[in-house]
Amino acid sequence: MADAALDRESGGGSVRILDGVIATPELAAPPAISPTSQEYGIRKAFRTLLSDMRRDWQLYVLLAPMIIWFVVFLYTPMYGLQIAFKQYSLFRGIEGSPWIGFDNFVALFSNEYFLRAVKNTLLISFYSLVFAFPVPIILALMFNEIHHQGFRRIAQTITYLPHFISAVIIAGLVINFLSPTTGIVNILLDRLGFEKIYFLTIPEYFRPIFIGSNIWKEAGFDSIVYLAAIAGINPALYESARMDGASRLQMIRYITLPSLLPVIMIMMIIRVGQLIEVNFEYIILLYQPATFETADVISTFIYRAGLQNNQYALGTAADLFNAVVALILVVSANWLSRRYSQHSVW
Amino acid sequence: MKRIMTAALLSALLAGAPAAAQDTKTTKIVDKPLELTIHMHFRDKYVWNDDWPVAKELTRLTGIKLKNVASKATTLSREAFNLLMASGNLPDIVAGNELRQDFVRYGMEGAFQPLNKLIDQHAPNLKRFLAENETIRKAITAPDGNIYWIPYVPDGKFARGWFIRYDWLEKLGLQPPQTVDELYTALKAFRERDPNGNGQKDEVPLFFREPDTELQRLLVLWDGRSSGSDAAHDFYVDSGKVRHPYTGENYRTGIRNIAKWYAEGLIDKEVYTRRARAREALLGANQGGMTYDWFASTASYNTSLKDKVPGMKFLAIAPPASPSGKRLNENRRSRMRPDGWAISVTNKHPVETIKLFDFYFTPQGRLLSNFGVEGQHYDMVDGKPRYKPEILNAKAPVNAQMWDIGAQIPIGFWQDYDYERQWTDENALKSIELYEKGNYLTDEFLGVSMTVDERQVFDRHMPNIQTYMIEQMQAWVLGSRDVDKDWESYNAQLKKLGLDQVLAVMQKAYERQYR
Repeated sequence: MADAALDRESGGGSVRILDGVIATPELAAPPAISPTSQEYGIRKAFRTLLSDMRRDWQLYVLLAPMIIWFVVFLYTPMYGLQIAFKQYSLFRGIEGSPWIGFDNFVALFSNEYFLRAVKNTLLISFYSLVFAFPVPIILALMFNEIHHQGFRRIAQTITYLPHFISAVIIAGLVINFLSPTTGIVNILLDRLGFEKIYFLTIPEYFRPIFIGSNIWKEAGFDSIVYLAAIAGINPALYESARMDGASRLQMIRYITLPSLLPVIMIMMIIRVGQLIEVNFEYIILLYQPATFETADVISTFIYRAGLQNNQYALGTAADLFNAVVALILVVSANWLSRRYSQHSVW
Repeated sequence: MKRIMTAALLSALLAGAPAAAQDTKTTKIVDKPLELTIHMHFRDKYVWNDDWPVAKELTRLTGIKLKNVASKATTLSREAFNLLMASGNLPDIVAGNELRQDFVRYGMEGAFQPLNKLIDQHAPNLKRFLAENETIRKAITAPDGNIYWIPYVPDGKFARGWFIRYDWLEKLGLQPPQTVDELYTALKAFRERDPNGNGQKDEVPLFFREPDTELQRLLVLWDGRSSGSDAAHDFYVDSGKVRHPYTGENYRTGIRNIAKWYAEGLIDKEVYTRRARAREALLGANQGGMTYDWFASTASYNTSLKDKVPGMKFLAIAPPASPSGKRLNENRRSRMRPDGWAISVTNKHPVETIKLFDFYFTPQGRLLSNFGVEGQHYDMVDGKPRYKPEILNAKAPVNAQMWDIGAQIPIGFWQDYDYERQWTDENALKSIELYEKGNYLTDEFLGVSMTVDERQVFDRHMPNIQTYMIEQMQAWVLGSRDVDKDWESYNAQLKKLGLDQVLAVMQKAYERQYR
């Protein structure tokens, strides 16, 4: 709380976590209105950058590989995005293929199964956000309260382990556990006097199974970042709270959670940006035609459409759509976060 | 002349390779050695290798050496081909598997040379083969009337068949089922009367290793179809009309019965999740009763499980007759694979290349591409090629050994089933013989080549239609929906998704190509 108040006083309006060194007062100044002064600002900023570079050239050399990587692997391929608007032929190439305007997008959006896939993607992601996102935080808080070091280490290792198992094996485990004849879940149901259920062919069960097994797989590993953040909290805060007679729950509520908030918000923004992506490989392994109704997501839809006829243009159109939606989601999440919690990525 | 011949023979004898030297005379294509480049990446892990014994022998026989340009680093043949096309830098020959549609499409766009004239003038054996096999000629012809590629032509008839536990039938006092009703009785008895004798009702009468494609073969038992080709869910042709197997009254009847069988436990309850391990697991546990699967590999379990399941007799039965009295075995070895090779437009030696393609349809070329090198991998016994014992008795299967020496690879060659018969299990041969005697072979639809506009219609509608069809089918089989209740809405939805347009396009392409 104290940090946030301090920053508000400094006039920036938001905590500029990633700007670090470059956030000089000139740059953070509110945008000027007249065009001449704006140009002046830009020119000045450029000059500052140049002199900075001359002074700290070692730092910029260290930065260079990452920038080159971005340019080569993320910006150059964007040239190919134009095939979303073309009738693309590999042999004719990107230039040689004829333009067809928005035909590929029309084909996508007039397709009820694509729309169903969009809906399923968003639902699976949304439910993951609601149910899976808080789990690592809770887990980290719980680990933090374990005072026996040996026990804590063992518990942590056990929860990390599933992260390192490949999706194929996890899917195999899930299929075996839920098998109607030999699966442990159905044997339990049977013993308790319930009907056996062929879970993986019933659309209603798909999302809980998918999200549940993902929580089991990733929660332990995802809790590491929160544990690291907790380790960074000033112990003096706890000491003084203890002096004031705060209980452990009160300390979690008034010290640990507020200190974690920046990390939680950033993780949240990153997650929201990935709302439109789900673990394609894992879905392919678990779904059946019988569960397409809830399990068919954008990526699996494109996979099936693409496999039949190599429809690159259609796939690119869907990808472009994905990217635009993801961008909107990230920007709005960031805006919301800045507005209501004063924490944001930029 | 005579003297030259004698001299040639004499020098051949002196060289100590009599059989080898004389046959190059008829097979030589070029006087001066010629090197052609080839891009061939296949089955996701092999590339053309000029060190293969078969490739070396090819060079010796024809004078042409093929130099590979495909990258060994790639582990996806599809990707390798795509990269090649996108690079625009084409080698003399492009080859590989699953390339049929690409050869046609890029051929029409100008990447590959039309072969019709070349075949006419320079490839007598290929010409004769295509004249004798009209359907294959039609199937490889592009919508513009040109032929752009030469396919891999498999040999042999039957691929999969119905296998049942004869020992269980005997134990229960049943005859091998001849009709679908008798089959029902037998499966019911498998389920109810404990043929494995362990006191538990754990028998799985019908199981399928590939439920997405093979479970539907049951439709044939009620006069339906599951696919017209060896691809899944494919169209078929019924008296000149292209139809889809998942439509019509027979399909409805079939699905209704399959759902009933599933509900009664005659079909594996876990059929959609057990998958690849189903056959091995259920036979090994002495629980599986019947399946539809490949002859050779299925029959081999009689030997490999001899100790684990004593007395097991898992052999083929003739396809049970449908209510209308028809016995049909739907799955067969295709007469033409979507694999093969084509000549790039940049190739400067099209005549020599087509002669090379022609060589594979000569007797020598067939021996080389099927059996390897004479004296090294096989010997001629009574005029027939016989594998050497060290090949037949090796640990690796013969087909894998052939791939390693460059034979039986997906170029445009004509397979000889005799290559496989030599190492097929006795039980499998007996089973295949049963099907051959009954002549249960189905005619196969070799597919159509579409124009760009036709393909656009097809691509727009078909993926959705197929998704909807198989989604519904599973729901019906599993009993979560009822086929009779859904039937009207099913047909309405198919109409809405554009099945009529797709059928119209298919029909048009079919008539252009096969009439």
